[in-house]
Amino acid sequence: MIFFQVRLIGVGICLLLGQTLAQHLPEWLRPDLVLIFALAMGLRLRGTGALILAFTFGLIFDLGSGALPGLYAFLRGTACAATRLFDRALYLRAPVPWAIYVLAYTVIDALLMCAVVGFFVPGSTLTWESILTSLPGMAIFTALLAAPLLGVFQRLDPESSPQAAWGLLARGRSRL
Amino acid sequence: MSELLSRFRFPLTYLVLALLCVLSMSSRREPAEMTLGSQALLEVTVPLQQMVTLPVRELRDLWDDYVALVGLRERLDELETKNAKLQEENLRLQEAVVASERFERIESFIGERKLIPSNVIGQDLSPWFKSITLDQGAEAGVRPGMPVITDSGLVGVVAGTTPRFSRVLLITDPQSRIDTYVQRTRARGAVHGNADGSCSFQYILREQDLRTGDQLLTSGLGGIYPKGLRLGSVSAVERKPYGLFQSADIEPAVKFEQLEEVFVIPERRELPSEDEFANEDEELWAVGEGATAPPAAPPAGATPPAATTPPATTPPPPATPDARPEE
Repeated sequence: MIFFQVRLIGVGICLLLGQTLAQHLPEWLRPDLVLIFALAMGLRLRGTGALILAFTFGLIFDLGSGALPGLYAFLRGTACAATRLFDRALYLRAPVPWAIYVLAYTVIDALLMCAVVGFFVPGSTLTWESILTSLPGMAIFTALLAAPLLGVFQRLDPESSPQAAWGLLARGRSRL
Repeated sequence: MSELLSRFRFPLTYLVLALLCVLSMSSRREPAEMTLGSQALLEVTVPLQQMVTLPVRELRDLWDDYVALVGLRERLDELETKNAKLQEENLRLQEAVVASERFERIESFIGERKLIPSNVIGQDLSPWFKSITLDQGAEAGVRPGMPVITDSGLVGVVAGTTPRFSRVLLITDPQSRIDTYVQRTRARGAVHGNADGSCSFQYILREQDLRTGDQLLTSGLGGIYPKGLRLGSVSAVERKPYGLFQSADIEPAVKFEQLEEVFVIPERRELPSEDEFANEDEELWAVGEGATAPPAAPPAGATPPAATTPPATTPPPPATPDARPEE
């Protein structure tokens, strides 16, 4: 399990670097890879390890983004917790529900970000209206990448079956 | 208690971490120094980001500078065509500006004078004679013997006309002879054209003071040219150790190679007398930049400056057959 977590950290760092690459794409096409990572960890890891990892990567993201210090740590931690909360109810271990969930949560995450920034920074120009133009494309692209990335996490998990489709649907609940 | 903590460990952990985040956000509204932990984290992550960004930047430059240039041939052709059109338009506009300046100069020159404006439409085909063709002829009132001028000075004389055109003999033509005087000293002589297209000032008495830069004007003697038309300036004086006369080369006032518009003076002059020539109050055709009318006659009793006083004893130059073209 520890080996799995170490590999997850490596994947998380790769995704952070991938996020750096994504900055070269058009704004409406930038996927939020770290958000997928945080959501997937809420799905895959037991205990508080996932939560701490999500907060940590959110904090690193904060350092690289120039946002309010702690904003992305809060958002990514919340994303991880929300996935853990909704996993049982929404059956997120199938590719399609997972992609739809990521799509919806990308929008929720953006709205939550606007709310937090609006609360802590009065007069900020980061409003819902301002992100409406780029948010749909970004959410769709993030959702499209969500399932393949979850497959990558599945491959990293030493206890998963490589023959299973997506490796998640067949044995999902037994891990929780 | 520990069971309770164990049961709610996840939500409690979330609440603690979220609270830390909120505290961080609320306490750092203004720009401030980063904590040591944040600095260390940033020091580690930034080089990693650079490792990713630099190759991407290089790849993008490679793409922009080479691969993306593949389709530029059509764009280049299009821009070259556009550039050619713009250059042509620019040339037209520059030409319009030059023409406008020339017309302003001509307008100020004409003033109240009655002149026949005309365009130069042709040059002499022979290399030995210097004449031009004008687009105004007898129908416009142009007659042989009428002087032709520009705002710079004398051009020549009308040598022949048709109803619609006229031919002008230039002052640089070898057939041209013009009775002339030096504006500064009133010394008289004759200007004639040379075969090479230049002009010479001849038959100036040897004792006359002739200097480089002296302005030469038509004397009005001979019945063709009015008095005071600017011919040019002395560019070199030649005084031989023998002979009665001295001579000089002339820089014509008119740039004949740039002639476009000229004016015909629609009047034929009567031959003035010597007294009329000596009369300083006579109206002069003072044209050209350097041509100014001679100073008015000094009031009675005053002693005029020697330089501007016409030499009363100056004899008319011999063998000056006036500026009449040899038709």
